[in-house]
Amino acid sequence: MTLERNILLAFLAGAALLPFAVTDQYILHLAIMALFYAVLASSLNLVVGYVGEFSLGHTAFLGTGAYTAALLSTQAGMPMWVTIPLAGLVSAVFGFAIGAITLRLQGPYFVIVTLSFAEVLRIVANNWIAVTNGPMGLAGVGQNLFGDVAVTDKAGFFLIVLGIAAVALYFSYRFVYSNAGRAAVAVRENRYVAQSIGVDPFGTAMQAFVLGAFLAGLAGGFYAHYISFVGPEVFRFAFMATMIIMVLLGGKGTLIGPLAGAVIVTVLEEYLREVQELRLTLFGLIVMAIVLFLPNGLMGFIALRREQQAAKPTLNAAKERTV
Amino acid sequence: MTLLSESPSPSAIAQAADAPVLAVEGLHVAYGSTAALHGVSLDVRAGETVALIGANGAGKSTILRAISGLLKARSGTIVWNGKAIANLPADRIVAAGIAHCPEERHVWPNMTVQENIALGAYLCRSREEVQRRIGMAFHRFPRLRERSRQMAGTLSGGEQQMLAIARALMSEPRLLMLDEPSLGLSPKMADEVFDVVRSVNGHGVTVLLVEQNIHNALGVASRAYVVKTGRITASRPSAELRGDPDLLRAYLGG
Repeated sequence: MTLERNILLAFLAGAALLPFAVTDQYILHLAIMALFYAVLASSLNLVVGYVGEFSLGHTAFLGTGAYTAALLSTQAGMPMWVTIPLAGLVSAVFGFAIGAITLRLQGPYFVIVTLSFAEVLRIVANNWIAVTNGPMGLAGVGQNLFGDVAVTDKAGFFLIVLGIAAVALYFSYRFVYSNAGRAAVAVRENRYVAQSIGVDPFGTAMQAFVLGAFLAGLAGGFYAHYISFVGPEVFRFAFMATMIIMVLLGGKGTLIGPLAGAVIVTVLEEYLREVQELRLTLFGLIVMAIVLFLPNGLMGFIALRREQQAAKPTLNAAKERTV
Repeated sequence: MTLLSESPSPSAIAQAADAPVLAVEGLHVAYGSTAALHGVSLDVRAGETVALIGANGAGKSTILRAISGLLKARSGTIVWNGKAIANLPADRIVAAGIAHCPEERHVWPNMTVQENIALGAYLCRSREEVQRRIGMAFHRFPRLRERSRQMAGTLSGGEQQMLAIARALMSEPRLLMLDEPSLGLSPKMADEVFDVVRSVNGHGVTVLLVEQNIHNALGVASRAYVVKTGRITASRPSAELRGDPDLLRAYLGG
């Protein structure tokens, strides 16, 4: 628990120094995308890792956040410090509404219904031309932070997304180590026993789901301003696939896992650009390898090694005693 | 004269003690379209230990699950302390003082013993109170204190059963429902578990017990209900059933 917290704090502190050490715009862009994905993966992890259900519709919240921020900015000229939190809140409201329906379902039913919600929102974004401008999307999303103060360079955006990542990790940490977080793990591990000690599975799942939606909405709001364009693609499955790989690779049900997964996959994706056509194939192979050899992701693997290390001395001690 | 009217009459006290603390009336439960209980009625008085006995699949566990709100009742009433609790959500029923210790000694294997126990007091919001109850649990189950930092999955079967009971007691229930506490345990370990049940009952907790091992069940309970294919077919004091193997065989169809 404290180790996890210290690693997260060290990561954020180290990341905060990056824009002062690196001026290469391309590397800063990669770092921004890595943190953006870290927020998304952490938010998906709240659902996959703590509710224990596989959501394929998490892009619904990313897209809702992105469109909210884009509309507030282009229509009302609001600055980022207003639009991004509002993007999170609107997504949280959507999360509550969608959760109220989907969290009553389990297993494949949950997967399919969440997926269809994302698809419905994509179709709405594509066809409600009066508001969303349809497939043309919303271009020219403003880049001002407060009033007229505009963010003009990558370093500025990096610090903003770092702030959002810090918020996301803080909320996730508070949730995981709260009563609700422990209850969520209890439900995930054994729903029946959790109910027998008085846990309301629906209520705890709802808390994780709404928090996940809120964080994905923040990420979406940031994305809208950073790219300065939002189209129906934000609801596409490509984002979903990337998020899933990150959470699975890093290790679901841990706080550091999605973060590590986001950094690794973002960097890998850039390297694999050379073999553009094979990219998805390679990702498919990576996912298969993870499921087969690292079912609990990198963090699960590390935890296992630590346990083995810890078990060794006691084994030796036992041997000495018998000699 | 005024003094007399203020203090309850002895007969009123006797009546209160005699009135069932839990009364189930005409309970029907179905899994999908398959009926599992066909109008079960039973009652449990404060401080009693009552056993439900019967063959596999007779519906004993279903009765407990319906009482604790894990299953919905199709019809019928469940009254606890004068309040109707049928079809309340499970967490409200735990809060009302009924703890259910499910069968197969489900513990959370990847949490420590202490974490398992602490989660039992999930509905208790005061940290000091939870600490006090953990202290009591370890006092009652010294062996669990020795293993408090161990993963629950590494405990022996008997220890896991003790842990499940300790966890159920963390909500400080007035009714403890135990589902097959001796399942898969050695006879010695089962005896230990039933000693615990007796001592819990001795501290004033009413116990409703489902048990396949009839001798264990009748050894700890004062009364037993015989459950057969979703119905209660008999209700007798344990001593009477124990003393008459023919009667038992007739009821259980063994």
